[in-house]
Amino acid sequence: MNRRSIIPLAAAGAVAALGLAACGSAVKTATPSQVAYNAGNTSVVNPSAHKGGTITFNNSSVPDSTDPGNTYYAHMWNMARLYGRSLMTFKSCPGKCGLQLVPDLASARGQVSADGLTWTYHIKPNIRFEDGTKVTTTDIKYAVERTYAKDVLPNGPSYFALLLTDSKYPGPYKDKTPGKLGLKSVDTPNATTIVFHLQKPFADFDYVVSLPQTVPVPQAKDKGANYQLHPVSTGPYKFQNYTLDKQFTLVRNTEWDPATDRNRKQLADKIVVNLNVNADTIDNNLIHNFAHIDMAGTGVQAAARAQVLSSASLRKNADAAPSGFLWFTYINSKVKPLDNVHCRRAVEYAADKVAYQTAYGGPIAGGSIASTVLPPNIVGHQKFDLYGATTKPHGDVAKAEQELAACGQPNGFATNMAFRSDRPKEKAASTAMQQALSEAGIKVTLQGYTSGKYFTNFAGVPTFVHQHDLGLSIGGWAADWPDGYGFLYYLTAGDAIAPAGNTNIGELDDPKVNNLFAKAVATTDAGARNQIWPQIDRQVMSQAVIMPGVYAKSLLYRNPNVTNVFVHLYYGMYDYAALGRK
Amino acid sequence: MTAPLEISPVKATPAPEAVLTGAGQIEGRSLGQIAWRRLQRDKVAMAGGITVILLVLVAIIGPHITQSPNTYHQNLINPTFSRPVGAFGGISHAHPLGVEPVSGRDVLSRIVNGAQYSLLIAFLATFLAVSLGVIFGVIAGYFGGWLDAVIARSMDVFLAFPLLVFALALVGVIPPTAFGLSGNTLRIALLIFVIGFFNWPYMGRIIRGQTLSLREREFVDAARSLGARPAYILFRELLPNLVAPIIVYSTLLIPANILFEAALSYLGVGLYPPTPTWGGMLSDAVTNQYFQIDPEFMLVPGLAIFITVMAFNLFGDGLRDALDPRTR
Repeated sequence: MNRRSIIPLAAAGAVAALGLAACGSAVKTATPSQVAYNAGNTSVVNPSAHKGGTITFNNSSVPDSTDPGNTYYAHMWNMARLYGRSLMTFKSCPGKCGLQLVPDLASARGQVSADGLTWTYHIKPNIRFEDGTKVTTTDIKYAVERTYAKDVLPNGPSYFALLLTDSKYPGPYKDKTPGKLGLKSVDTPNATTIVFHLQKPFADFDYVVSLPQTVPVPQAKDKGANYQLHPVSTGPYKFQNYTLDKQFTLVRNTEWDPATDRNRKQLADKIVVNLNVNADTIDNNLIHNFAHIDMAGTGVQAAARAQVLSSASLRKNADAAPSGFLWFTYINSKVKPLDNVHCRRAVEYAADKVAYQTAYGGPIAGGSIASTVLPPNIVGHQKFDLYGATTKPHGDVAKAEQELAACGQPNGFATNMAFRSDRPKEKAASTAMQQALSEAGIKVTLQGYTSGKYFTNFAGVPTFVHQHDLGLSIGGWAADWPDGYGFLYYLTAGDAIAPAGNTNIGELDDPKVNNLFAKAVATTDAGARNQIWPQIDRQVMSQAVIMPGVYAKSLLYRNPNVTNVFVHLYYGMYDYAALGRK
Repeated sequence: MTAPLEISPVKATPAPEAVLTGAGQIEGRSLGQIAWRRLQRDKVAMAGGITVILLVLVAIIGPHITQSPNTYHQNLINPTFSRPVGAFGGISHAHPLGVEPVSGRDVLSRIVNGAQYSLLIAFLATFLAVSLGVIFGVIAGYFGGWLDAVIARSMDVFLAFPLLVFALALVGVIPPTAFGLSGNTLRIALLIFVIGFFNWPYMGRIIRGQTLSLREREFVDAARSLGARPAYILFRELLPNLVAPIIVYSTLLIPANILFEAALSYLGVGLYPPTPTWGGMLSDAVTNQYFQIDPEFMLVPGLAIFITVMAFNLFGDGLRDALDPRTR
């Protein structure tokens, strides 16, 4: 998430990982906790039921869109819950508890047919839009139809068009049927039932309907791209006004019924979001109580980091939150001599993981050193370390030289490394890789490309990669939903290799990995399926097509005047639907 | 009566009006010698000149005696804040100017190695600009007519060109391998070309103006009436008289080109990492926000650029004064 800046295409595939129930028992939502460093990662800080006040958000940029159906930013997916309810959602609680999928508009999880091709949801009765009209499943169907209109609403993911039958549906704006409800793969037999027809079984479908794209949209109120100026609310807040690129204000939605919604609160009277505020100003605003939350949720800047961490009184208001991203380097399995697994393993051994970590901001603001592809906040993460990332974090030149000898390149080799030149941290990480590999005799030449075309024209185009000998490419990844399939499929599956916009830049087409994915899709039992992800992770690591760098963290500052603050692990930032004011 | 003219026995010695006391024969001095004497008397210009020579020596010898500019010293970096351990950017015996934040690379060695690239690019770009400027300026000024019109107008076009934007676009568009060159060699060639090719009209206009006035002078008329061919007049009559402005404006163009190279590096179209350049170091300081966590790091390349540009400018100014007979 915040994925548009990472991946220009829809990320992640799917499979139903519902194995989160295990952590359900450990929920400690209401446990009062001390105000302490990292307290927001595990508990609710400043719990309170006090109502009233204004919460001010600052954003150093602008949202891609405030329309729940047209956004791919993690912070907007978080924010959109304030004024939109999807069929399913993630539970509002700190720690791993937040990775549980729970019904939102739906009254229960989806019912899947025996052949796995039909998913049926029933919605709670008596849910109303902000104008008092009742929400029906046709409003949800219409919202799903909008995801097909990429020409009008380009930003969101495209899972429905990928998964459902009738994939040629042109979108509601070109729909000639009366009522513009012509999508044949979604049926609404009555006002509270919605049925999805899939091309192939897809066990993770509950995750797909948790996307903000299933937030109901009344067809009469839809204004295409401009719907974002006033999305019709089903959540605890509604739009009061919106000056594009400047500010929007949310106020209480009196039609929202807390009895139907356990995952949102309605404590503050008003929520003001100021856009295009200088990033350093935002940090100062947070510290000096001119603002309450940095909406982007990616952490404070370097200056504020030094200030916050070196002062005990500020440090206790900070949380180093896992952001869900993995920062890593792709090792291409087709470019010579890296087509030999031993040469790839030499890269894994030689890399200086500490230098890599420092490049991203060190152990607190950057993240912890990674030894697996799956980050700890993903279901299916299992800790293992094949290349001494944690035992020899500065790199193991001796092992690297052994692997080079096994590869038939005892004196090392030369290759190129792609990075996004407009991303200082990636430039620093590439330079660190270059320096560390040179100690093992691997000569790396760095090639910078603009991030906007990184996947479409350069590193994501296998023919370009082969022509330019790009043995290494820097990358970052977060899943659209937190399970092994969602995270790994587009990075490592043979089927995910694309002629352009490729995200499996290592070009791994390993039969073992592909079979494991096939097996996972066919495994309906969540527990059994969640045993498959670590196997894939291990196989990918033994093939050494990814050199994991850091499990990313963001240093968030929580203004002490905000109540009910905690890090929601799925969004990797504070849960915006729970906040209140002192 | 006449009387023989009596000549006094006293020998008359002619008395000079002024007597040069002390030793010394009076010699004729060439223009070059006069200029050199004048330059020597200009202490500020001499200081600039000496600094320039030192810089060039540092750029040539320095990289061979300093430590590697690309070696990481992670142990000198506080990982939490990404900034160097110790005061003033981690100054120590081993690292007299401190180390770079995040990586811990030695700043002194990066500055010295950066000098090499910055000066190389600035000198060669200036050479290109001056060569083009002199050739086109002399041709336009001497031959006049339609040739002058064409060259003068194209100089105007070049001067009106948004150079920085063009440079950014050009360096961005050229692939990593082109014209049989690749990597840093290609970038250096490209930077020299861009900087040199777009700076020649400044030189060209000055040379053209000088040539216009020179070609009306008597010695040129004389040479022409004796049947000298244009090539002879250009190379033997005009060019020697243009040496002074060429030298002066070259020394003033070099600092401008150093700044331009720094600007391009700063904007991200400089040399490839990890090659150190002064502009690149400044760029890192800003884009990675090093200036917030370790302001000393920004000071060093900033000062290096400042001192170099200042030295060249002072020296160039002094040289102009020394070579121009009208200024005393």
